[in-house]
Amino acid sequence: MSVHIHVDGRRVPVPEGISLAAALVGSGHWTFRRHAVSGRPRGPFCGMGVCFECELTVDGQPGVRACLAHVRDGMRVETCPPTDPDDPSGGDVLAAAPGAGTTEEGRGV
Amino acid sequence: MSDRDVLIVGGGPAGLSAALSAAQGGLRVALVDEHTELGGQYFKRRHPAVVARHGDFRPAGTRLVTAVRQAGVDCLTGHLVWGVADDGATLLVAGPDGAPHALRARFTVLATGAHERVLPFPGWQLPGVVTAGLALHLATIDRVPVGRRVLLAGTGPFLLPVACALLEVGVRVVGVAEANHPYRLGRHAAASLRYPARLRELAGYLATLVRHRVPVWQDTYVLSASGPDRLRQVTLGGRHAGTVEADVLCVGHGFRPNVELARLLGCETRPDPVVGEPVPVADVVGRTSRPDVYVVGEAAGIAGVHAARARGQAAALDILARTGRAVPPARQRRVHARVRRLARFAALTEALFPPPLHLLDGIPDDTEVCRCEQVSAGEIRATAGLAHNGLNATKGFTRAGMGLCQGRECGTAVACLTRAANPHAPAEAFTARMPVRPVPVTALGVPPRHAAGADRGRPAGGGTPGGEVVR
Ligand code: FES
Repeated sequence: MSVHIHVDGRRVPVPEGISLAAALVGSGHWTFRRHAVSGRPRGPFCGMGVCFECELTVDGQPGVRACLAHVRDGMRVETCPPTDPDDPSGGDVLAAAPGAGTTEEGRGV
Repeated sequence: MSDRDVLIVGGGPAGLSAALSAAQGGLRVALVDEHTELGGQYFKRRHPAVVARHGDFRPAGTRLVTAVRQAGVDCLTGHLVWGVADDGATLLVAGPDGAPHALRARFTVLATGAHERVLPFPGWQLPGVVTAGLALHLATIDRVPVGRRVLLAGTGPFLLPVACALLEVGVRVVGVAEANHPYRLGRHAAASLRYPARLRELAGYLATLVRHRVPVWQDTYVLSASGPDRLRQVTLGGRHAGTVEADVLCVGHGFRPNVELARLLGCETRPDPVVGEPVPVADVVGRTSRPDVYVVGEAAGIAGVHAARARGQAAALDILARTGRAVPPARQRRVHARVRRLARFAALTEALFPPPLHLLDGIPDDTEVCRCEQVSAGEIRATAGLAHNGLNATKGFTRAGMGLCQGRECGTAVACLTRAANPHAPAEAFTARMPVRPVPVTALGVPPRHAAGADRGRPAGGGTPGGEVVR
């Protein structure tokens, strides 16, 4: 019936088989990430894999869209990406839209 | 790959229906979908664990998916079609592990669906402001209430079933703000519609809302959403202006067809009459300007699930007839009549619920329109007005529409703001680019045969709108 996921190190029981976005929202977590430039909080928006607002780090893998993922027992979720600019993770996972920087490289460059 | 007769992109109602009819007629069919499960948005499947607790959801979808698999359709789930190769016909695909594939068949059927349109307002990027579709998926697929006190706003018949689904999972729905005025809501009588016979299903939803004392505020729209780090309060304008406390706001202003692949394949498009966004030109069976490419379902214009299934079927029957299979003409005529009837119904719905584009004239300059790149309404207005820039030039200068969502969320708004600031701007849409969705870098490099096609999709620098469209 229930599985446990770890949200920023905290153990959270959630119903088995639901989406990760539902699990977080259902347990009161609405800030999934912070905008790379403004630092303002962002949460899931479209619920269908289009907006990329629900991206977070799952089991060490950044850029996972929570609305498309299902919860798994023992899953480790980090809701805000590492703020260390030298951290190499995250840069090589997604090829952005052509002509479009990822948000990280986008502004002020 | 050429041993396949039909390649269908998109495993929703339209793609599934096309796949089933084509396979049952004896064709070799492959169905590609980026998600791990077939069904698309309307027939999205519940996880087995949720089915065990709450039963199946929309069993018609389960039956359709099962039938498609049993009919021998090669179902490539978890495969994202991200572009078109240099030959203008081979589709470039990223597999589940990011591995590159190239797929080609004699006929290609695009059933790429649609996504929800939201017109921006101040505060729409706050956590707690979501699309109506997100709230519906949580309520129906996951059985999780999206919030405690929830307000729905926007326009369209879709808001009503979402409100009802939220009631079912125990949400307190504080109201539905409908920007248009499609409903007759008497003080005593149960709610009805201006066209009750045509929209009977909606009358049922309205009756449910009346029973639960959920107010439906017509001619009413969101002015702004606010809260410290998530939504607390919504300010409404129009007939029922005022403030509403809510922890979640669900918004939707209709749907936008996903037309990028059709455009990359060189299918002719025309601007839709309301918003001016490109929709593929297709006949009753979904044939486009390209003899080997069909567009069906919501990708061919928003018309709902029944129309999507009928169009998918019509395309399959047409392909069967063109490949020499016996298709009873009476059967084809029946399906065509159904497609036409449902298209008339869609036109009626569209007339009742036009997207309230005029609201964009009123959004303050500091409204964040492009969520990904944080471009404000003022920046877009200034750029478009200053140099008589068109949409794609405005995009190039401001970066609006260049983030990970590739302009899907802000596209309508950027186009409208550009045209308002520069009336001479041509009606255009963001250029269709590859990859049509962000893909793992591993998928871009190979297969070597198509490397040139992949390179075209790479940034040319500076976000200059280039001639990336293949063909
Ligand atoms: S909520 Fe939009 S991609 Fe997940």
